[in-house]
Amino acid sequence: MVNLYFEPFIIPFIVGVVVLFSVMWTKFISWISALPQSDRRMMRSGIFSVATVVGALWEAFRECLLHLKIGRVNGRLWYMHTSLAFGWFLLIAFGKAEAILYLKTPVVPIYVDVFFRKYFPFAHVGAFGFIMDALLLFVLSGLVAAVVKRFRPSVYGMRRTTDHTLGDKLALSALWCIFPLRLLAESFNSAIYDSGSFLTGSLGALWALLLPSRSLPYINEVLWWCYSVSLGLFFVSVPISRYLHIFAEIPLIFLRSFKVRASVRATTFTKLQRAACSRCGICIDPCQLSAEGISLDTQSVYLLRDERAKGATLAKADSCLMCGRCQSVCPVGIELDVIRTSVRHDRRKATSSFDYGYLDTVHVPLATSKVGFFSGCMGRLTPSVAASMRAIAIRSGVDIWFIDEAEGICCGRPQRMAGNLDAADRMRERNEELFVESGIDTLVTSCPICLRTFREDYHLNGIRLLHHSQFIAELMEQGRLDVERGAASFAYHDPCELGRGLGIYDEPRVVLGNIGRLEEVARSRDKALCCGGSLAHLGLDMAQRDRIAAGVCAEFEATGADFIVTSCPMCKKSLSRSTETRVIDIAEAVKMAVGVEEA
Amino acid sequence: MAAKRVIVIGGGVAGMQAAVALKKQGVTPMLIERDITLGGKLCRWDRLFPSGTRAGEVVSPLVEAISETGIRTVLCGEVSEIVGDDSRVEVMLTDGSSYEAEAAIIATGFDLFDASLKEEYGYGIYPNVVTSVDLEEMFRSGAVVRADGSEPRSVAILHCVGSRDRQAGCGHCSRVCCITGVKQAIELKQLYPGCNVYNFYMDMRMFGSGYEELYKEAQERYRVNFIRGRISECSGTMDSRVLVKAEDTLAGRPLRLTVDMTVLLVGKQAPASNAKFASELGICVSSDGFFKGADCFDGATLTSRRNIFVAGTATGPKNVGESMNEAVAAAIKAAEYVKGLA
Repeated sequence: MVNLYFEPFIIPFIVGVVVLFSVMWTKFISWISALPQSDRRMMRSGIFSVATVVGALWEAFRECLLHLKIGRVNGRLWYMHTSLAFGWFLLIAFGKAEAILYLKTPVVPIYVDVFFRKYFPFAHVGAFGFIMDALLLFVLSGLVAAVVKRFRPSVYGMRRTTDHTLGDKLALSALWCIFPLRLLAESFNSAIYDSGSFLTGSLGALWALLLPSRSLPYINEVLWWCYSVSLGLFFVSVPISRYLHIFAEIPLIFLRSFKVRASVRATTFTKLQRAACSRCGICIDPCQLSAEGISLDTQSVYLLRDERAKGATLAKADSCLMCGRCQSVCPVGIELDVIRTSVRHDRRKATSSFDYGYLDTVHVPLATSKVGFFSGCMGRLTPSVAASMRAIAIRSGVDIWFIDEAEGICCGRPQRMAGNLDAADRMRERNEELFVESGIDTLVTSCPICLRTFREDYHLNGIRLLHHSQFIAELMEQGRLDVERGAASFAYHDPCELGRGLGIYDEPRVVLGNIGRLEEVARSRDKALCCGGSLAHLGLDMAQRDRIAAGVCAEFEATGADFIVTSCPMCKKSLSRSTETRVIDIAEAVKMAVGVEEA
Repeated sequence: MAAKRVIVIGGGVAGMQAAVALKKQGVTPMLIERDITLGGKLCRWDRLFPSGTRAGEVVSPLVEAISETGIRTVLCGEVSEIVGDDSRVEVMLTDGSSYEAEAAIIATGFDLFDASLKEEYGYGIYPNVVTSVDLEEMFRSGAVVRADGSEPRSVAILHCVGSRDRQAGCGHCSRVCCITGVKQAIELKQLYPGCNVYNFYMDMRMFGSGYEELYKEAQERYRVNFIRGRISECSGTMDSRVLVKAEDTLAGRPLRLTVDMTVLLVGKQAPASNAKFASELGICVSSDGFFKGADCFDGATLTSRRNIFVAGTATGPKNVGESMNEAVAAAIKAAEYVKGLA
C-alpha cells in the first residue's frame, strides 16, 4: 500500500492547494476558450514552434523569478521581488529534491516535501540542510525588504506605493507569516531533535536553552499547524488578491510570445493581462498626474485593480494622459494604454449622435507628387510647420504635395483614445480611401499622433509612412539638403507618440546635430515627460495642463539651450505657453538653419 | 510744511489724467513714463469709438496740461522696483535713479496679446493677416492696403483673439474689442464701400453708450456681415489671400471663405511686471493678472497699501473714458490721503 503520510496538520495546506488550483484552472479554461478565433489560431501555431516555446520559458524564468526588468528600473526593489519569488521557488525545488533523494522515490506527495522537517526530523541529505537554511534566510531578507517598502517606500526611491484592497491585505498578512512561521517551526524541530543547520539549528539550540524541554513538542505542533494555516490561507486568497499575478503572468508570457495582443475591444486576453498585474506600484511614480498631485488614484495599477474588482468608472479611465510612461516601466509588460482605451470604449456606451455623413463630401485633388504631406488637425493649428516643410522641399529640390491643404479629415485618434471606436473607424476608412486613391507612395506627416494611427491602425496598400523628422534626415543623408552646423543650441523634446509610441528617437537628433548643438534634458527618450497637452485626457483644465507643461519647461530651461525643439504640433502648442524660451518645431529649426525664405 | 508728493507710474491717458487731477488738488505729482513720449497706447490709435474722435484730440490736451502746469515728467523711465513702507514710496528705475514720494498711483496699463501665439491664425506667417493695432496704424497713415500695396476687396475681422480663450492663457474679456471691431468694420466700409467685411464673433458685447447704435448702423447702413463663430484657422493661398475656416454656429454649418485680408482683434493682457510689483508692494492681483482694487465699488482705486493707488487699465480692460475717470477718482483718493498726513 502506498504511504500517504497523512497528518491532521496538513489539512489547511491541502485545502488551500485544492482551492487555488481548481479556481486557477477554471479561470484559465474560461480565458483561453473565450479568446477570439484569430487569437486561438495564433496560439495553435505558436505552441508547436520550439523556438517560441523555449523563448517564452526563458522569459518566464527571467521575469517571473529573476525579475530582471524590475532590476533595470530599481535595484532595491529588484532584490525584494527576486529574493521572495526566486528564493521561494528554490526552496520548493530543493525541498522536492531533498525529499526525493531521501525517500528514494520520484513520487513524493507535495506536502511531504513542504513539511519535510516535520516528517523526517533526522533526515540528513548531503548539504541540503545548509542549502535550505540559506534559502530560507534569503527569502526572509526579502520579507524584511517588503515590510520596509510597505511602510517606507522612500527607501526604494518611490514616492508612493500601491493602496491595497481587502483581498490584498489578507494575502499579504498570510504571506508575511509564512516564512517566519517556517523558521520558528523548523527551529523548534531542531530544538527537540538537536538537528538543523546554521539558522534553524542555532535558533533551535537557543529555544532548548531558554524553554523547558517538556514544552517544546507542544509549541512545535502549534507552529507547524500555524505554518500550514498561513500557507492555506495565502493560497485561498491568491485568486482574490494581487498575488493572482503569480499564476497569470506565465500564460501571459506564452500568449504574448504567440503574438496574441490586447485589443481596444476587450477580449479575455485583456482579463488575463489585468490578472497579471502584481500591483508593484512601479507605474505610480512616473505618472505626471501623480507627481503634480492632480490625481492620485487613476494610475494604471488602480485602473486594473478596479477593473478586476467591480469595473472601473469612466471618470477614472478618462483621467490619463496616455503618455505611455507607465507602460514603458511596467515589469509585466501589460498593454496599459490599450486596456484603458478598451475600458473607455466599454463604459462610454452612448455613442455620439454626431453625423459623420460629411466625411463622404470631403475630397482631395489628385496628387501632384508621389510624396504627400499631411498636416493633420494640430498641424493645421501650427501652420509654420507646413510652411517650413514647403521651404525645405524647395531647397532640396523635391516635390511635395500638401494633401490636406484645402481640406482633410482627422486621423481619428482623438475619438479612438476617447473610446469612440466606431467614429474613429469611419474616419480611418474615409482617409484610407483618400490616401490610396490619390496615388502617393510616401506619406509624410509632422504629427506623431497621426503617424502612429496610420502605422498601427490603417491599411494603406504599402504607402511608406514617415515622420517629417525622418524625411528631413533622409534628405540630409542623401545629400539633397545641404546644411552647415550653426552656433544655435537645441534641446530636443521627445513627443510621447513619436518616442515611446513609435520608437523614433534618433532621426530628430541626427537632424538637430547636423544643424547645431544638441542638448539633452534630464529625462529624455523613453523617459521623456509629456507636455501636458495630450488629447487622451478628457478632464484636465488649462491650469492643470499648464502646470504639467511648466514642469517640463523647467527641465528644458535648465539646459540653457537657445531653442526648445519638438516634433509634434501639440507639444509645440503646450510648451510654448509655459516658457520664455522659444519653442519651435524641428522643421522650423531646419528652415532657419538653411536660411531659406518663405515659399 | 513741504508739498506732498505723489508719483504716477505710467504716462498714458490714465496716468496723465491722474497727474493733472493731482495738481488741481494741490498735490505735487510726478509722472514716470517708459516711452520717449507721453500718450501710451493711444499714440498708435487713429479714431476712437463710438464718436469717431481722433485719438490725438484726447491725448494732446493732456500733454499740454502736463507741460503748462509744470508737472515733473521723467521719460524713458523704465521702473525696475517699487519699494517702501506705509509712509513713503520709492520708485527705482533701470538707469539707477530713484524717486521718493508719500504715495504712488500705478497706471501702467496693459499689454497687447501677442497674436503669433495663436499660430493657427497665421500672424507673422501670412503677410495679409494683421492685428487691429496694425490696422489702426494703416488708418493713421492713410494707406489701408494689403502687403503688395493693393486695396482689399474683402476683409475678415476676428473677435476675441487672446480674449476669453483659456487655451491662450487669457480667460477674461477685453471688453473693448467688440466695439473696436464694429468701428473698424465701418471705417473700412467708409474707405472702400465695395469691400466685403465679415466680423466673426462669439458674442457682441455692446455695453457702452452708443455702442449698440453703432452695431446696428454697421449692419443696416454699412452692410457689414456679422457671423457668430470663431475662426478655427487661416491659411495662405497661392495668390497671397487668406483662406478662413470657421463654423457659422447660428446656421450650424462649417464655413470657408477666402478674403484679401484678415484682422485679428487682439485682447488686453496684464503685463508680466504686475505680479512682480504686486509682490514687492504686498498688494494683490486678480486671477487675470491685473491689479485688484480694495473692492469693486468705492475702493476700486485703493489697494491693501494705504499709499498705493491704481487707475486705468492697470486694473483691467477699460475704454478710454473709463480709464480717464478712474484716474480722477484715484487722484482724489491719493490727494485726500497725502493731505491727511501730518
